[in-house]
Amino acid sequence: MSAASATLALSSSARAGGRTSGRADPPRPPAPIPRRAFGRTGAQVSIIGIGGSHLGDVRDPVEAVRIVHEAIAAGVNFFDNAWEYHDGRSEELLGRALQGGKRDQVFLMTKVCTHGQKADVAMRMLEDSLQRLGTDHLDLWQIHECIYDNDPDLHFAPGGVVDALAQAKQQGKTRFVGFTGHKDPGIHLRMLAHGFPFDAVQMPLNCFDATFRSFEQNVLPEAVKRGLAPIGMKSLTGAGDPVREGVVTADEALRYAMSIPGVATTVTGVDSLDVLRQNLAIAGGFEPMSAGQMSALRERVRAVAADGRHEWYKTTTHFDAKVGRGQHGYPTPEELPL
Amino acid sequence: MSGAIPQRPLGRTGVRVSALAVGGHHLGDAPTYADAERIVAEAIDGGVTFFDNCWEYHNGRSEEWLGRALATGGRRDRVVLMTKVCTHGRDASLATKMLDESLRRLRTDHLDVWQVHGVVFDNDPDLAYRNGGVIEALDRAKQAGKARFVGFTGHKSPEVHYEMIARGYPWDTCQFPLNPFDATYRSFEQRVLPECNRRGIAVLGMKPMTGRAGPIVHKVASPEELLRYAMSLPVATTICGMESVDKLRANLKVAQGFESMGARSMQELRDRCRFTAADGRFELYKVSLAFDNPQARDAHGFPNDPTEKEVKEQLEEVTGTDKPR
Repeated sequence: MSAASATLALSSSARAGGRTSGRADPPRPPAPIPRRAFGRTGAQVSIIGIGGSHLGDVRDPVEAVRIVHEAIAAGVNFFDNAWEYHDGRSEELLGRALQGGKRDQVFLMTKVCTHGQKADVAMRMLEDSLQRLGTDHLDLWQIHECIYDNDPDLHFAPGGVVDALAQAKQQGKTRFVGFTGHKDPGIHLRMLAHGFPFDAVQMPLNCFDATFRSFEQNVLPEAVKRGLAPIGMKSLTGAGDPVREGVVTADEALRYAMSIPGVATTVTGVDSLDVLRQNLAIAGGFEPMSAGQMSALRERVRAVAADGRHEWYKTTTHFDAKVGRGQHGYPTPEELPL
Repeated sequence: MSGAIPQRPLGRTGVRVSALAVGGHHLGDAPTYADAERIVAEAIDGGVTFFDNCWEYHNGRSEEWLGRALATGGRRDRVVLMTKVCTHGRDASLATKMLDESLRRLRTDHLDVWQVHGVVFDNDPDLAYRNGGVIEALDRAKQAGKARFVGFTGHKSPEVHYEMIARGYPWDTCQFPLNPFDATYRSFEQRVLPECNRRGIAVLGMKPMTGRAGPIVHKVASPEELLRYAMSLPVATTICGMESVDKLRANLKVAQGFESMGARSMQELRDRCRFTAADGRFELYKVSLAFDNPQARDAHGFPNDPTEKEVKEQLEEVTGTDKPR
C-alpha cells in the first residue's frame, strides 16, 4: 500500500473508530479468538491479523506498542508488515513491541518490495527487515504487490525474487514464503501456475470483490486446492468508503471477510486502540456467517460492486506503490498519455 | 501494395465483409460533412463494405453524416451497415425507440447489424439478460426485419464479454479491442476471440491502434504494423477510426491486397509490446474512465465524479437529451 492510500485508510479507520468512544479499561473480548490451520504448514494462526501499514500510521510509538501488546494478550498471533511501509517505521514499531520475549508468541510476516528487481536486492531487504523487526527469522516472507501483468515473468526470471525466497528458506531466515497483490486475479493465477511451492497467498477478500473481478471466485479455490494458506485483506476495501456511505457496516464487512470458507486469516488495518478493540470484539468467539447470510450480502451490494467504485485497488492506481511503477519503468499516473 | 481488400465471412451469417471497416466515431470527427462524405465514398470505391456507427456518437451526427453519404448513388445497398444501441442496462422499449431513431438518421429501413453498445460493467450481463432487458429488443428487431444480425460490443473486460457469450444468447457478432497490447494484457485475444470462433460468432476487431496515438507517439510500433497485426488475427473485420481522407488512404494501402503477417512476426510484435502493455498505459479503455461515457454510468445508477478529467471533458461534449442529471 502506498503512503497516499495509507492516508486514505487512516481517515476511514478513524471514522470507523469513532463509533466507539472512551479509552478507559481495555474490555476483554467475550471469548478467545479462534485459530485456524495455516495451509499445509502445520502452523495455527488467529483468524484476525494486524496490518502493518496502519500500525505505522499511529503517531505515538507508545500507543503502537500498546496495540500490539493488547492484540497479543487477546489471542492475536498474526502480524503483517512490509519492508516499504512508512520507510521502515512500521517494521521498527512492530520490532520494538515484540522485544522482551513476545517474538516467539507471534506468527511474524513481512514482505519484500523488489517490484521486479533481482534476488540480491531482495536479500538485502530481508536483512533490513530482520534487523528492524529484531529477530533472526520470519515466519512468513512474501513478495509484495504482484500487480502488473509482467510481474510473474519478472519474479520467475533467473535471478528474480523467487530465487531469494528459496534461498531465505534454505538459510532458515524464513519458515514460509508467499506473495501478495491487490489488482487482478489473473496475475495471481499466473503466479500460482508456475508451480513454485508457495506456502501462502494474500489477496483482497470482501463482499464487493465477491462479484467484481473476484479473487474469492477465481484465486481462493485454486489456493485451497494447492494447499496454500489464503490471507485475506481489505475487508473494508482499504478506504472504508462503503462504510462511510452506509452501504455496509464495518461489522458486517469484516464478518463477511472472516466467514469466507478456506481463508486462514484476515489482515485488518488497526491504527488505534479503539479500532483494535472493535475488531477484537468481532473476532472473539467468532461464528462465521451462514452461506445464506453471505449470499444475501453479496446480492445486496452487487449493483454497486459492478463498477469497481469501492475497490480502488483494482480500478485505479491509488493503491499502487509509486516506487513500484518507477522500478517497472512505468510513467506516473500524471504522465500517462491521456 | 495494391489489389482488392479481402472479403471474409461474417461468422455463420452467410454474408461477407471487407477485412477493413470504417469506424463511426471518427467519421463524426471529420471537419465537415463534405469531408465525411469523401471518406465514405473513397472507402467504398476502395473496397470497404463494412461501416460502424452508434446511436450516441456525437449526439447523432455520426449516424446522420453516414446516412446522408450512403443515400447518394445507391451506396446503402453496397455496404454492410452496423450501428449500436445505447440502453446501458435500461429497458428494451428504450432500445426500440433508439433503433427507430438510428434508422431515420441512417436513411434506411433496416440495419445489417445492430449491436448492444458498451458492455463494460460487471452487471451488464445481468441487465441485458433480465426480463424486459435489451436482448428482447434485439429479438423483436430481427423479427420485424429491422436488423438482420445482432451482437454486442465493449472495451473493458474480457470476463464480462465471456459472460455475455456464456449465458447462451445466439449472438451473430461480437466487437472488442484487438491489438498487440491487448494480446498480453487482460486479453480479449486470449480469452474471447477463441470462444467466438468456436461458436461461429463473427468477430469485429476494434482499436487496432489502441484508440489513442500513445504507442505511435512513443514509437513502440508504427500505424501500419498495428493495423496489420489486428487484421492478421482470425476476425471478420477490423474497425479503424479515420477522420481524414489521408488516414483512410494509409489504411487502404495496408488493406488492399492484404496478406497476413505470419505467426512469427505477430509473436515478435507481441514480445516488443509486452513490456509497455503490462501496466495498461496504452489501453486506457481498460484501465481508465477515458472511454466510458458518463451517460452509461448514469444509466447504471453509478456516480459521475465531475472532478474526474475524463468525465468533465465528456460531459461538456454531451448536449442531447441523454445528458446525465
